[in-house]
Amino acid sequence: MDDKKAAILSEIPRLRRYARSLLRDRDSADDLVQDCLERALVRLDNWQTGESPRRWLFTIMHHLFIDQMRKVNRRGEAAMLPLEAGEAQAAPADQVETIASREIMDALQAISPDRRAALVMVAIEGFSYAEAANILGVPAGTLMSRIARGREELRGLLDDSSRRRSIRIVEK
Amino acid sequence: MTRRDFSERDIHMALDGELPGEERMAYEAWLEANPEMKAKSARYIADRTAMRAALAGVMDEPVPARLRQALFGQAPAKAPAWRSRWWLSAAAAVVLAVGGLGGYVAGIDSTSRGGEGDDQLAEQAIAAHVIYAAEKRHAVEVPASDKDHLQTWLSNRVGLKLVAPDLAAQGFQLVGGRLLPAGEQGKAAMLLYEDAKGERISLFVTAESAATSKGTYTAEGGGPEAVYWLDKGYACAVVGSLPPERLSDVAKSAYGQLLAGISS
Repeated sequence: MDDKKAAILSEIPRLRRYARSLLRDRDSADDLVQDCLERALVRLDNWQTGESPRRWLFTIMHHLFIDQMRKVNRRGEAAMLPLEAGEAQAAPADQVETIASREIMDALQAISPDRRAALVMVAIEGFSYAEAANILGVPAGTLMSRIARGREELRGLLDDSSRRRSIRIVEK
Repeated sequence: MTRRDFSERDIHMALDGELPGEERMAYEAWLEANPEMKAKSARYIADRTAMRAALAGVMDEPVPARLRQALFGQAPAKAPAWRSRWWLSAAAAVVLAVGGLGGYVAGIDSTSRGGEGDDQLAEQAIAAHVIYAAEKRHAVEVPASDKDHLQTWLSNRVGLKLVAPDLAAQGFQLVGGRLLPAGEQGKAAMLLYEDAKGERISLFVTAESAATSKGTYTAEGGGPEAVYWLDKGYACAVVGSLPPERLSDVAKSAYGQLLAGISS
């Protein structure tokens, strides 16, 4: 039991990084990780000892993320009232970001959650296509098209933001 | 050596380590022969590098105590209600993207005129008002329900101690506020108010002022009027399409409260 918890503990930095890429805001990302850990503890028996907990934990977290995204979509515009914008803005003061980091993180948040998850899983977390497809519960072909579209979308958004920056318009 | 046609799909596979080793050389040769594809590959690599760099710091952060506690069983059994709201920030990203675009449009409008001093401030304030006051749902970045945060956030960004004036006596309630560019490098706070009939006015405050003056301004061709003050160190404009007396009344009250807040 404690061995399992120690193994899970060592995965927390990666889970936090993945959550941060999905949600950007530090507290929100840690909330997602905490939800993931709590669910993992309830299902500790589902995890085969000897196997790395990484894929298992990422799968749990991804399900939590996608479930919530679907709820947000069902609630539709109600969830997109400016009320929430203020919460996302409230980044802790110690989070120092360069312009480049801020732009790429903003752009990442603007692409669809499915594409964001697929792209980050492979490009940042280093999972193979087979592993990522398994975690996300989609066929490999779907994963690949999400990655390709995600990269293309990201590039377009970054081009837009550098164009904006070049005429010194937007201050965030 | 195997010979096959490559496509854009292979750029992703190569980038993600999914291209079989024996195809690697042929792929590199294909890239060399297709500058457009080579540029695309280079761009994706650069974006990935930036993405990794932006997230690299997270791995070095110490594990927060609350996560450690969640794992080792000292956390409250029931998750606090606020925590299930993490997903809201994802929804908010959509709003922020819209806000960013709005700022872009407002910026073009206000910088292309290139006025001086007073007029420039008034023009920027009017441009912002025209764009954002017309927005029903995305008029503000931070709503009045989060007033404390709004005041702190805008104060920090603009560099002035800002207090959102209470204009209830004039019939206006605070809707919320947003951050905008001002002048060459500066930032401005915009506070939006609404009366019972849905008529909106906005306050535009910036720390970008060396001059001292006051006046009213309306753009050529009409539109909303701005009543403005420039004092040493800050400037303020109240914009709206109200009868002059009413706008002046609102402006006096707003100015008095802003001044009291700034010098408190």
